[in-house]
Amino acid sequence: MLFSLTMSCNFKFGGMKALLAMGGLLFMMASSAAAQTSSGQLTITMSVQSSITLVFQNNPSVGTTGFCPLTNSGTNNVGLDLGIAAFPGSFHTSTCVSYTHLTAADYQVSSAFDVVVNKANSSSPNYRLAAQISTPPPANVTWLLNNVTLTTAGFTTLDAADNYATPITKTLQVQVKNTVAAQTLLETITFLATAN
Amino acid sequence: MLKKYISIMRGVALAALLMCGASLAAQTTASGVINGTLINKNGISIQFDSDPAGVTLGAAGTSAATANFGTVSAFGPLAAGVTRPSVTAANFTVRTIFDVQVIQGGLNSTTYTLTANLAAAAPTGMSYKVDAITLTTALQTIQVNGAYSTAIPHNLDLVILTAAPGAGGPAVNTPITTTINFTATAN
Repeated sequence: MLFSLTMSCNFKFGGMKALLAMGGLLFMMASSAAAQTSSGQLTITMSVQSSITLVFQNNPSVGTTGFCPLTNSGTNNVGLDLGIAAFPGSFHTSTCVSYTHLTAADYQVSSAFDVVVNKANSSSPNYRLAAQISTPPPANVTWLLNNVTLTTAGFTTLDAADNYATPITKTLQVQVKNTVAAQTLLETITFLATAN
Repeated sequence: MLKKYISIMRGVALAALLMCGASLAAQTTASGVINGTLINKNGISIQFDSDPAGVTLGAAGTSAATANFGTVSAFGPLAAGVTRPSVTAANFTVRTIFDVQVIQGGLNSTTYTLTANLAAAAPTGMSYKVDAITLTTALQTIQVNGAYSTAIPHNLDLVILTAAPGAGGPAVNTPITTTINFTATAN
C-alpha cells in the first residue's frame, strides 16, 4: 500500500529502490521485534464433597464453677481434667468443677463445655449428636452427658437436631458411689455428629 | 657388446616407464561437495512439570497437562499433594503446587513474563488463583521475570464457597473441570 501510493506520486525509480530497501528493513525489524511467546494449558479436575466438622470449645464461663478449661480447646481431640475428688467432706481439688452429693452414698463431679459443628457444601438443616464411652467404667461409676448415661454398647443420642455453627453446651458428669475403691477414673468419650 | 647392453637397458627402462604410465592412467577419481544449510530459528516453549510437593500431573513435561485434585471438602481428607491452607465460614481453599518450565533458544532474552487466564468463566462457587492472583478469563500477569530452563513452582489455589449447592456453593459429588491457559512471553 505504501509502495503504490509513493509510485503514483513520484516515478523516480531511485527513490523507489530506497523505499523498497527501507520497507524491507522495517519488515525485518518488525519480525525481529515481535515478542516470542509460548502457550500451554493446565486442566484442573476435582469434585467437591459435603462435609461437617466437630470441635470442642471452652464455654464462655470457663474458669468458673462448673466450667473447667479444656486442653487443646478448639479441636476435636481435647482433654478435661476433673481433678481429685472424694465422698467424705465433699473433697475435691479442682476449683472449676461442680461437686455435689447426689444421695447419702453418691457424689457427682461435673464440668461443662461447648460442642460446635460446622458444615460446608451441604443443605443439611441440622445435625444429631451422640456419644459413647471407650471402656466400661468400674461398678458404681457412671459417666453421663446432660444426665444421659453413656455406655460402651453404642452411641447414645444426646440431641436429635442441633443447629450448625452454634455452641451446644454439654455437661460431663461422673457419678461415684462411696463404695468405689480409690483409683483413677479415665474415659475417652467419642462424640458423633451426623448431618440430618 | 656395450652398445647392446645399453640398448637393452634403454628398452627395459622404456618398458618400465610405459607400465608406470599405464598404471597411473587407470586411477579414476570423483569428487563432490555438500552444501549444508541450517536455519536456526529462535523461539520459546512452555511445559508443566509435577512438583514434589504437589499432585502428580497428567502429561507432565508437556504444554497440555492435567492436575487432578480428587475429592475435596472443607473438613474431610484430601488427596496426596493437596493441602487446605484455609477454612473460613464462607469458603475454604485447597492448594497444590505445580512447576512451569520455559525454555528459549536463539534469543537474547534472559527472562520471561508468565500470564494466565481461565479458558471459560469459573464454575459456580469456585475461584482459581495462581500465586494468589485470582484468575479471570482475561490475562493476568503471574510472573514478570521467570528464569528460563528452571522448573519454577507455582501455587494453584481453588477457593470454594462453603454454601450449599443452589445457594451459591458449587455442585457436589460432580467432577468439575477447568482449563487455565498460560502464556510465556520473552522479555
